[in-house]
Amino acid sequence: MAAKSKKDLLVENAILAPLDWVDERTAAVRGTKWFLFRNVPRDISWAQTLGSAALTAFIVMAVTGVILAMYYEPSATIDPVSGKSVAYTSIESITNELTLGWLVRGMHRWGASVFIILLFLHMGRVFLFGAYKYPRELTWITGVLILAMGMLMGFTGYLLPWDQTAYWATVVGINLNGTAPFAGPWLAQFLAGGPEIGSDALAKFYALHMLAIPGALIALIGVHIYLVTRLGVSSPPWSGEAAGRERPAVEPAGARAGLVRGSGGGD
Amino acid sequence: MARDLGELNREDFARYKDDVKKEGKPFFPRAIFHDTVMSLVVVGIIVALAAIWYYDAGDTPEGEGLEPGILGPWYTEPADPATTNFVPRPDWYFYFLFYLLRIFKWPETVFIATVGIPTICLILLIGLPFYDRRRERRPLHRPVAMVAAVLTILSMAVLTWKGATAKEALGSELVLLVPSWAEEQGFVGNEEAEKGAKLFAESGCLNCHTYLGQGAGNLGAPDLSEVGATNDAAYFVQYLTNPAAYGNTVMGSYSYLGAENLAALGEFLAASKGTSGG
Repeated sequence: MAAKSKKDLLVENAILAPLDWVDERTAAVRGTKWFLFRNVPRDISWAQTLGSAALTAFIVMAVTGVILAMYYEPSATIDPVSGKSVAYTSIESITNELTLGWLVRGMHRWGASVFIILLFLHMGRVFLFGAYKYPRELTWITGVLILAMGMLMGFTGYLLPWDQTAYWATVVGINLNGTAPFAGPWLAQFLAGGPEIGSDALAKFYALHMLAIPGALIALIGVHIYLVTRLGVSSPPWSGEAAGRERPAVEPAGARAGLVRGSGGGD
Repeated sequence: MARDLGELNREDFARYKDDVKKEGKPFFPRAIFHDTVMSLVVVGIIVALAAIWYYDAGDTPEGEGLEPGILGPWYTEPADPATTNFVPRPDWYFYFLFYLLRIFKWPETVFIATVGIPTICLILLIGLPFYDRRRERRPLHRPVAMVAAVLTILSMAVLTWKGATAKEALGSELVLLVPSWAEEQGFVGNEEAEKGAKLFAESGCLNCHTYLGQGAGNLGAPDLSEVGATNDAAYFVQYLTNPAAYGNTVMGSYSYLGAENLAALGEFLAASKGTSGG
């Protein structure tokens, strides 16, 4: 056995050893390898990138959202200097004064629409490919819940600029909640936080928008991606002879070699 | 036919796993490459939308960015609970719900639009893998699923489009109708009632209610053309001050308008006895 060079020793001590130490306790390295070094069907292409595109939009929302939270103040109290509410004033200063604040706010505002569109497209693709069928039922259900949570993010986030559009759309929204049987009126009263929608409602929407719903959303996305990795990406249903059909019991000799054929996703 | 569905499904999936293992392509770097390109496009589109939104909005005397560009203004005027003439409008992906409200506008049916249909849609979506249990995945061999998908997409598109283009009753236009209302209802010269009618037009009452053929009929709010036939001005003042006391939890209180304005509104509503009954 040749003596290890100094460089090899350095790499081993500085990088591999700590990684091994972490992996021994968490299986994080094995998990990452399991996620990255797996095979996917040969014939997947652009249609199957919509899910990761939605994930990218979500990451954009998370990053811009954290930056906005550093400068935004969820208060409907009137600012004595500007004569406008504190929330509205902070949105004005993010848009007008903060360096690139307009870009951060604009990306958050429009990223929401892009996220929702991508979720719908992704869902449409999964439906068209019949990819919600066995064994991917739970992947589909977490996906539907992600869509519902995404819509709730849109509803709670719409109020935060505390301008006329935000305010009146939310007044209607809360009244709509109130029409639901059983919990409806209670929920509407809780959200409004009083006879008139003001700082109480703003604080509640803010907490839901940046703590509760994103928490649920991140957990659901985690489960969704775990399931996709565990069960594999389904191939297009029209790929080769495999889709939805049994294959001939005995394959002709040599049929596998050189036959360009889909990998029979999920059948 | 002898073997059950679960067994067949498991066999299919075992074949799939075997195929992918033997003939699939590596996720890293092959699939990741497509994903990365797509993600860059997505970020590019988001940045482009933000830039168009920011630079296309103009300034008005009231402030910067209030003049809407093609993607709307930076923000609208500060929230003001005292002005009820603002037309509520949700974000575009709620337009379908917004328009459903106009279809199911009667009080007994509002909950069909607000809760009933969304809940049914959610249950149908979640339950999809359980009531569509066939192994067939090719679109052309799933005619029911494809027709259902096309109908869903069409109805969502139509509802969204109708919601986006729905005409709203604008206070500034409705005010012009006050003289004709006074004539039809016979309260010409009653200054208090005319003042009330003006307030009625400007305060956004017709965003939900209808009156002599005007208004939206949102949220199941009733027609008020003949409302004065059954009650007097004092009743309306009390009702407007606290609708909840009359079992109306959808309508908010209008007590902020002040006693003087409420009295005028009450006088106007009491004078609205309808055109047919005289």
